[in-house]
Amino acid sequence: MKYFFLSLLLLTGSVQATQVLIEFKSPEQQALFKELTHELRCPKCQNQNIADSNAVVAVDMRHKTLELVQQGQTKQQVLDYMKSRYGDFVHYQPPLNKFTLILWLLPALMVLGLILLLLARRKADHAELVDEAVTESQGQLEQQLDHLIEQYRRKS
Amino acid sequence: MRKLAFFIPFALFIGLSVFLFSGLFSNPMERESSVLDQPLPAFALPDLQQPEKIWTPDSVKGKPFLLNVWGTWCVTCNAELAYLTELREQGVMIVGLYYQQPTDAAFGEVFDLAALQQEVALKLEQQGNPYQWNILDKDRTLIFDLGVTGAPETFLIDAQGVIRLHHIGDINPQVWQQKLAAAYQNMQE
Repeated sequence: MKYFFLSLLLLTGSVQATQVLIEFKSPEQQALFKELTHELRCPKCQNQNIADSNAVVAVDMRHKTLELVQQGQTKQQVLDYMKSRYGDFVHYQPPLNKFTLILWLLPALMVLGLILLLLARRKADHAELVDEAVTESQGQLEQQLDHLIEQYRRKS
Repeated sequence: MRKLAFFIPFALFIGLSVFLFSGLFSNPMERESSVLDQPLPAFALPDLQQPEKIWTPDSVKGKPFLLNVWGTWCVTCNAELAYLTELREQGVMIVGLYYQQPTDAAFGEVFDLAALQQEVALKLEQQGNPYQWNILDKDRTLIFDLGVTGAPETFLIDAQGVIRLHHIGDINPQVWQQKLAAAYQNMQE
């Protein structure tokens, strides 16, 4: 049994991971390729970048990215190339347009709403305090009045 | 004030519930294709069965047709072949765009056209042949330019060669009736 497992281990040794080495003209291109493959999103997958996915479309996009980067295209050019085919979905940085405006507005609106709510509550608390003070002072006045009436009654 | 304090969280809760509930029925794969209302991208690709014949945007256009991206390796594509064949019998023009998966040289795989032709012919004989002809996209260049994410996907192309509709997933009677039939009929007129 032991030897069986040992031979299994030997087998795994012979299966080697094949890695593709990519040659770049400059470190800048290498950095750009890395950046792009991490920012571009695999359109077939649910939430994976193309560096991370081995779906056919992701592999094709990696190759295309490499080709365009090696041609010396800028980041924006490569992004536009991909977006014209696979849409805004393909970039992890959504652009600001009428569909995505709410993403930017919603947090601001929520903060604003909270501030308004706090202010309103403060005002309400304040009004309640004043109310209480008024009723309190009224009570006192009534007592004083009662007291005075009592006094006058006794005198008369 | 009390009423408002009660109502705001309640409204937020209802809003969130409706949003999340509707999310249960949405299809995350569905999004609008960015090539809609654009002419077919430039290509020059061989016919699958007669490789000496080269198809280009000019040679495919003339009549409205469905461009169906498929492959024999794709299970869903095989499942829709029968219904597509029915559509063909009703007079719908369907052109196949063959999605060839990459061959992995590291595993000694080589692209064998003759074997592929045989495989495709056999498959179409068994399941029905909906295609007027098949375009072989060995390196998935047209597939890439069309923004295809996988197979099956179908494009509706009008007589001028402009892409009018895009559908991800299989075509079944329901999809055809609800999404494609009307648009296709309109193009006929």
